[in-house]
Amino acid sequence: MLETLQNLYLGFSVALSPVVLFYAFVGCVIGTLVGVLPGVGPLAGISLLLPATFGMDATTALVMLAGIYYGAMYGGSTTSILMRIPGEAASVMTCIDGYEMTKRGRAGAALAIAAVGSYLAGTLSVVVLMFLAPPLANFALRFGPPEYFALLLLGLLVLAYMSTGSMPKSLAMAAFGLLLGMIGIDPMTGFFRFHYGLVELGDGIGVVPVAVGLFGISEILLTAGQPTPPKVIKPRLRELLPFREEWRASFGPIGRGTLLGFLIGIIPGSAHIISSFVSYAVEKRLSKHPEQFGHGAVEGVAGPESANNSATSGAFVPMLALGVPSGPIPAVMLAAMMIHGINPGPLVIKEQPALFWGFIASMYVGNVVLLILNLPMVGLFVNLLRIPYPLLYPAILIFAVLGVYAVNGSVVDVWIMAVMGVLGYLLRKFDFETAPIVLGLVLAPMLEMSFRQSLRMSDGSYAIFVSRPIALIMLMVGLALLLLSLRPVFTKAMDWRRSLGIEGKTSLGEEKKI
Amino acid sequence: MRIRLFVTLLVLILALSYWAQAQEKYPDRPITVVAPFPPGGVADLTARPVAAAMEKVLRNPVVVVNKTGAAGAVGMSYVANSKPDGYTLLLSLSSISIIPEADKLFNRKPAYTMDQLVPVALISADPTIFVVNAQHPWKSVKEFVEDAKKRPEQISFSSSGVYGTLHMATEMLMHASGIKLKHVPYGGAGPALTAILGGHVDTLASGPAVVIPHIKAGKLRPLAGWGAKRVASLPDVPTFKELGYDIEFYIWAGVFAPRGTPQPLLKKLRDTLRQAVNEPDFKAAMDKLQTPVAYLDAPEFQKFWDKDAKMLADAIRRIGKLEIKEVK
Repeated sequence: MLETLQNLYLGFSVALSPVVLFYAFVGCVIGTLVGVLPGVGPLAGISLLLPATFGMDATTALVMLAGIYYGAMYGGSTTSILMRIPGEAASVMTCIDGYEMTKRGRAGAALAIAAVGSYLAGTLSVVVLMFLAPPLANFALRFGPPEYFALLLLGLLVLAYMSTGSMPKSLAMAAFGLLLGMIGIDPMTGFFRFHYGLVELGDGIGVVPVAVGLFGISEILLTAGQPTPPKVIKPRLRELLPFREEWRASFGPIGRGTLLGFLIGIIPGSAHIISSFVSYAVEKRLSKHPEQFGHGAVEGVAGPESANNSATSGAFVPMLALGVPSGPIPAVMLAAMMIHGINPGPLVIKEQPALFWGFIASMYVGNVVLLILNLPMVGLFVNLLRIPYPLLYPAILIFAVLGVYAVNGSVVDVWIMAVMGVLGYLLRKFDFETAPIVLGLVLAPMLEMSFRQSLRMSDGSYAIFVSRPIALIMLMVGLALLLLSLRPVFTKAMDWRRSLGIEGKTSLGEEKKI
Repeated sequence: MRIRLFVTLLVLILALSYWAQAQEKYPDRPITVVAPFPPGGVADLTARPVAAAMEKVLRNPVVVVNKTGAAGAVGMSYVANSKPDGYTLLLSLSSISIIPEADKLFNRKPAYTMDQLVPVALISADPTIFVVNAQHPWKSVKEFVEDAKKRPEQISFSSSGVYGTLHMATEMLMHASGIKLKHVPYGGAGPALTAILGGHVDTLASGPAVVIPHIKAGKLRPLAGWGAKRVASLPDVPTFKELGYDIEFYIWAGVFAPRGTPQPLLKKLRDTLRQAVNEPDFKAAMDKLQTPVAYLDAPEFQKFWDKDAKMLADAIRRIGKLEIKEVK
């Protein structure tokens, strides 16, 4: 304990030195911007700015890149809440309830809760990172393909809790998402699947163009299709801050989101995107009024936004403690370490204490910076809604096209976004939810890869999924969840039509009137 | 009338002088070096110091652009089909020879062919190292091969992906030693390393810079290297050649130009790169990456490339198309 405090003192002396502090600030600002811009996510931001760090020393470079990563998680919620456009892929879930809150005039509250939730999650998860990085990293290594497959299956079962409308429709959308995820090179044999001669489809369909299309573009199209232009929502100053009951409802989700996000974040290959999906589902399951989800439940913003932030700290665990990447973003950061002559590996914490502890301390500082940056911005951002739609929407469209293009410099991605926009419009006209498509698309490649790797490891024997303890436990949890979600089918047998969505129509219609 | 004639002449003169200048004054605008892999990968990390050193020699901006996708095919075919004017270059890894060969195997329309590109200079060539998880008993290649022969397809290896460079290296070992290992492909060299550290696979072939920290930490044990010479930072690890296996494999990085680039421009580029690799800043940058510089000028690089490409093509044909086996 004393040693940790001494180390932390060393860390803060590094993190608070003017140069490091300055670049932490720069990283946070860039991260927020990258998060706010639709399409451009933290990976694109970090990749583009990697060359800019060549002239810095290793600690400064890492501090700035990390700032971009978790800064993007703060910024990502902004456009999701205000315009239903995911600023980056981990904010897809925030679109649903965040935007509903905006429609009810609670945009300021949603933004403030997202910022505070991100801050608490960011800070708490650094505490865990600081104390437990080495043992947690060794635990994370035990996640091989079978464990990973079980985890993803668990993620898929989350769907059962995610839908606000009809279950068959949600399942159909998830299946569609999974099928979209099949496009691209078969990871085990090298065959191209469904690429229709387009080299760009070899890597599969990206999550970003699909998410921006399905959520953002479809929203613009729907608004354009309304007979009367939507009223400009003029936020009043005293309604900017969350009400007391909104705060009270948020603390539980923030705490659970933090824990969940961190745990999912440390597992190699896993992503902050999944953590936000899982958190949303957990909050809906635990909520006393699950019917409010999808209609502006504050928990649906607080949980996922905390989870994706805490997942970023989780992702640093294997990176710092072992020198192995837990995803594409830590991989770029490991490269940044190599450029500066630090060979990432299990000895970095011991051999480079100033780097490790400076990095940790800078995350405490960075999260404070981001909170200070983001809370006053709430007022500014909310005022964007005052811009009349004929000006606002074309501008959003331009930013969406630019952002999606910028990620890979690929026109094919822009077309995918356009097609998904039209598809999202049609689906929403028919009361289909689009979030399960994104979940399916995110999970499909990982699910397939880990499933086939597992079977390769076991020479085709399915016993591998139940003979390894971690995988077995997760499958049992999944089974329990599944049975729980089926319970209403048995206990409320009379009400089964509702779950099929036959009567769901009328109830939805009523809610719309409200 | 006179004015028109005058203008025509002026335009002609300008055009001619511009054409002459284009050859003489090359380069007079920024040169783009395309890295066909994402930032932070070997190609990108090599391209940046190369570009910086070229910039110094040429006194002209040299920009690195990452054009990624389809395991590098997008960026490579972009340069292969670019205007051969010396302003678009490619910094590629050995996978440049794998992609067209794999396309052939699958009867696909190739994204590009190797003869669309000409080599300019080889920058680095790092032999892969064969490592096993330290919990396994094998202390030498001999012990390992004996054990692997006893139980074919039981010992596993991870790779950066099917037909990827790390797969090729192990395939060559299997072919030369007559053993059969179980291939578990991963999505990239990072996940492949994570897999062996977690004990989910038994062996891995990977670059020295990647595995050395884990060898030092006692998690991985090196058995042999694929180079012609031992790796300087692992002096006790023998090469496969010393052990009697005639295999060599390098993860190399080289600069290419589109075919049809005029000879004078190519000469200028070759001279530039020869000077660039001797820049102290460049050497320091490569030292930090723990990647030794292995410069070869175009003619020698062409020979090296031909030999390497043939070796890879043979390996790909041996692997063949992977059929889906039915489970008993």
